[in-house]
Amino acid sequence: MRIDRRTLLKGIGTAMALPALEVMLPTTAIASAMAKAKPTRMAFMFVPNGIDMAHWTPGADGMLGDLPSVLEPLSGVKSSLNVLTGLAQHNAFDLGDGPGDHARSTACWLTGVHPKKTAGADIKNGISADQVAAQHIGHLTKFPSLEIGCERGGQSGNCDSGYSCAYSSSISWRGESTPVAKEVNPRLVFERLFGNGDKSEEEKSLRRRDLFRQSILDFVMEDAHSLRGQLGGRDQHKLDEYLTAVREIENRLVNFENANQEAILTGVQRPTGVPADYGEHIRLMGDMMVLAFQADLTRVCTFMFANDGSNRSYKDIGVPEGHHDMSHHGNDPHKLEQKRRIDRFHVTQLAYVLNKMQATKELDGTLLDNSMIVYGAGISDGNRHNHDDLPILLAGKGGGTIKTGRHVNYAANTPMNNLFLSMLDRVGVPGETLGDSTGKLTGLF
Amino acid sequence: MRLTGLGMTCLAIVGITLQGGKAKPQTFQTAVKPVLTKYCISCHTGKEPPGGIDLVTLLAKDPDMKMREVWDKVATNIASSHMPPQGSPHPTAVGRKAISDWIQAKLAADCKLAEPGRVTIRRLNRDQYNNTIRDLVGVDFKPAEDFPSDDVGYGFDNIGDVLSMSPLHMEKYLAAAETIAEKAILIPRAKTVKFEGDTLKGKDSVESDNGGREMASTATAFIEPTFKQSGLYKLKIQTWGQQAGPEPCKMRIDLDGTPVGEFLVSAVQGKPQTIELPLNIRDDGKHHYSVEYTNDYYHPEDPNPNNRDRNLFVDFMEVVGPIDSHADLPESHRRIIPYAPTEPVKDARKMLTAFATKAYRRPVRVDEVDRLMKLFDLTVRGGESFERGMQLGVEAVLTSPNFLFLVEADANPKANRVVNDYELASRLSYFLWSSMPDGELMTLAAQGKLHNPATLSHETKRMLLDPKATSLADNFAGQWLQIRNLNTVAPDQDQFKDFNDQLRQSMASETKMFFMNVVRQDRPILDFIVGDYTFLNEPLAKHYGITGVSGNEFRKVNLGPGTRAGILTQASVLTVTSNPTRTSPTKRGKWILENILGTPPPPPPPGVGDLGDEKKINSAKTLRKLMEQHRNKPMCASCHSRMDPLGFGLENFDAVGEWRDKEGDTPIDSSGTLPDGRIFKGPAQLRQILMANKDGFARCLSEKLLTYALGRGVESFDKCAVDAIVKQTIAGNYKFSKLVTAIVTSDPFLKREGDKGSR
Repeated sequence: MRIDRRTLLKGIGTAMALPALEVMLPTTAIASAMAKAKPTRMAFMFVPNGIDMAHWTPGADGMLGDLPSVLEPLSGVKSSLNVLTGLAQHNAFDLGDGPGDHARSTACWLTGVHPKKTAGADIKNGISADQVAAQHIGHLTKFPSLEIGCERGGQSGNCDSGYSCAYSSSISWRGESTPVAKEVNPRLVFERLFGNGDKSEEEKSLRRRDLFRQSILDFVMEDAHSLRGQLGGRDQHKLDEYLTAVREIENRLVNFENANQEAILTGVQRPTGVPADYGEHIRLMGDMMVLAFQADLTRVCTFMFANDGSNRSYKDIGVPEGHHDMSHHGNDPHKLEQKRRIDRFHVTQLAYVLNKMQATKELDGTLLDNSMIVYGAGISDGNRHNHDDLPILLAGKGGGTIKTGRHVNYAANTPMNNLFLSMLDRVGVPGETLGDSTGKLTGLF
Repeated sequence: MRLTGLGMTCLAIVGITLQGGKAKPQTFQTAVKPVLTKYCISCHTGKEPPGGIDLVTLLAKDPDMKMREVWDKVATNIASSHMPPQGSPHPTAVGRKAISDWIQAKLAADCKLAEPGRVTIRRLNRDQYNNTIRDLVGVDFKPAEDFPSDDVGYGFDNIGDVLSMSPLHMEKYLAAAETIAEKAILIPRAKTVKFEGDTLKGKDSVESDNGGREMASTATAFIEPTFKQSGLYKLKIQTWGQQAGPEPCKMRIDLDGTPVGEFLVSAVQGKPQTIELPLNIRDDGKHHYSVEYTNDYYHPEDPNPNNRDRNLFVDFMEVVGPIDSHADLPESHRRIIPYAPTEPVKDARKMLTAFATKAYRRPVRVDEVDRLMKLFDLTVRGGESFERGMQLGVEAVLTSPNFLFLVEADANPKANRVVNDYELASRLSYFLWSSMPDGELMTLAAQGKLHNPATLSHETKRMLLDPKATSLADNFAGQWLQIRNLNTVAPDQDQFKDFNDQLRQSMASETKMFFMNVVRQDRPILDFIVGDYTFLNEPLAKHYGITGVSGNEFRKVNLGPGTRAGILTQASVLTVTSNPTRTSPTKRGKWILENILGTPPPPPPPGVGDLGDEKKINSAKTLRKLMEQHRNKPMCASCHSRMDPLGFGLENFDAVGEWRDKEGDTPIDSSGTLPDGRIFKGPAQLRQILMANKDGFARCLSEKLLTYALGRGVESFDKCAVDAIVKQTIAGNYKFSKLVTAIVTSDPFLKREGDKGSR
């Protein structure tokens, strides 16, 4: 039984286990099926509380000219990005559910599904675009997807007007009721990707440990199966989450050796923990994402700069007030200015990440060329909590399938999921509909 | 569910009607329905009725359990003067209460039909995991520190439905199990010091051709090892003989000059034997161990050339140790491996059975142990030690769903049932300790005694006095009062120069100690509102302007009559309900409504973010003015008229809870006017307002604690149980232990509803 399953597992993803070093281009059947030397990666980077649209939306359509204040830090990669105006997540609106826009729009951002309003029982959302991708191409890499952020989930109380904190702290949803947990400590992300740096363990003992781990996974899987019959529906669902998790780790153990990443890690400093400085924290997490892409440990990533509704203060850029407080600007010029500063600060960190990707050469261009990075928010104006006219930009050329350097203005209320469909298309995930999509997004090329 | 902005102009005369009804019993149809019909139905009807409350449908039948949630809202909103909105004709206070009581009484009559509810299988959250490992294994480190956060539902992070599991969790569980097993169980790794044959010294012995020591006639060989520490060691001698004559070689061994005996060496070249001797080293330093060849045999005339000469050879000697005596092993090791195994397989089975029983919090089945033994065998067959085999078994147990989830397995998942004694033990221990049941609970469960009401009540009191009950402060109070959010608040350093991490920690400590005082001293829960004492250290006392407290140690301080009392005026609460640069009367008011009064404001209407008339609002000079303007908008008024005044009562406390008489140059106005017209000023009078509704507070706290106890949201069908809990608490003079006892003896706590599918 065990042999059979593992034999089956073997070979599905082995071919791509090697690091994507330029000298080691995969030449296997799977790789050639991809018909490309370098895989296309996708990432979704989320910022809370909307963005000051007056300083985000470029004045003219077409080729990007001078960037508005919030986007200005991106000048260096201007030719590699598109600002997409007019996209909406209609299902983030209340639709009769009352307030809770922060939680609702976070949960809806990548699903396009109207999350069920509940503080706990019957959590229900949809599958997010990143997880759709992970389900299709995730087996090709050691980690089907990577979920990172800079803020832990809500610690107590009511996260947003009757919505469980699961909604307001998760953009990535593996299943209707299962948000994917994120890692907020750069050290832990690094260790997850590259090991804890303990070289004392010999190859033989590593193998033996893996064998033991597999035996343990067999053991617990049997436990889970024998429990199943004695549980109700919701309990079974929880156990299914457990089983899925066990299988994913099993797949990793069977199909992915601990590849030598020294070439990629040359000159890279191991993170030691969560930096006190928020900007540094974001950049360090960004580094982790870039490293994971570079080493082809994953091709799908979600990255939440903060949870929505965050009331963080940005003292270092002259904003001692809380972000959420300022986002409800009521057109007060002071608050608007503070909000603009916060938005620009976030984009400055984005620029760091994109510049780094631009500087990372791959055989056929740069890492940025071979990526599609969505950056934006689930709320447009933080004061109005509207979810149309969302601030969204798409960076990277998607492996040469996206024409960049433009401001593309779509018809109002174009579903954001149309963009996701087009992106999924580019990583080889078939599909004509997703959530409330009405078709693929036109005009990307 | 929105109940704002309705034209629920009704009930002005209900009070009189209902009071008159005492003489002539009225029914719902004659008493309540006409009034609601007359005054409320014009708004509450149609396709999209306000708040989703369609009175036409609702009034068609008497209130029943099925529509309990909606009826609750009607009753609550009428009783709380939330409806009809301000400015509309409204009933008298007596009338409001009467109609609300009538509905509640009608609903309460259905109590025997109330379902106990069903909690979804709960994964251990981070705190529970840490505590359980601490109590199970006895290693006190916090393996869950690096786990992802647990999502919060209904205000708490122990809600079964919300605790999901990602591959990331599984990775962490596997890694943690490995670390825990390694830390808990020591693999014996006694050091071996080898003395090669050519390094042996001796009298009349010579180095042999093969590098050992040859003793051709009576001769000795010795070593002089130096010990760094006392303890148990072993001396190993690898030896063989060139045999001849009637008997094998004999070797006499002396340890530090004391002969320990003569040993027969019958082994021959190529097949040496090892002689092992225990060494009990009491004095460290240099020791002297020698062997002597005692039965030389030499008959060169023997016709058989192989029977002419007998010689003794020593290949090498080894000193192994120190060997841990079992009693010296760490407690965690001895907890799992209580004695030095003599029959490895049998002993491993026994030990793994005991460990899994504790870890699964129920008797473990034979087939489960069989499978654990397979893991043990796998290790030992691979040549690894008993201890390594036990480690693997422990890892498997700690990764099993039976450990990671609080399992309440149903023989028939569809049927209602009473939870069994083991499940009850876990419900109790994870409620009061955030950890596993201890030996006493497990014993009572094994004896089937835990359901006995007297036992249950006794155990509850015992558990509340146990040091582990501090988890209630960390996990229950920390979330109920939102103290955990102190970790992330960032008051503006320019404005609040005194605020630092020490003060942040002190604020949290004060509230936790206050809470634990109520628990341990079994104080009335009303202390949370009016308790005129608190716990302070010097930094916090200074912050409060209280003198005579020096040092970082916390101590109880009597506050006397004054501005501060209870939790409401503690810096922790005041800080988490503020923005970084300013107070927020709205947040504070909302906090009181949600966490003290249990009447959260109904959500504002859609589109409320669009204030429209911004310019006018922004021209307001003070926060209070601004908020008053805000409240003048009918759309906002119904909620803000409830939240803001309560918050204004605390305006003398700034955004980090320090007292202030002025904000800038403007004197603080701490007066508030409640929707029902009551006027108050300052924190002391605010407390009187809250005490006037002390039973409302008892209900609020009951619901919060019940949610935490059950790990699921309190639903409309729990109303009867909550009513009973509140009643018992009040009858018990509001004592904390009475509240807890009422909860653990309630139906939702003792029973488990069958799975009826999605509600």
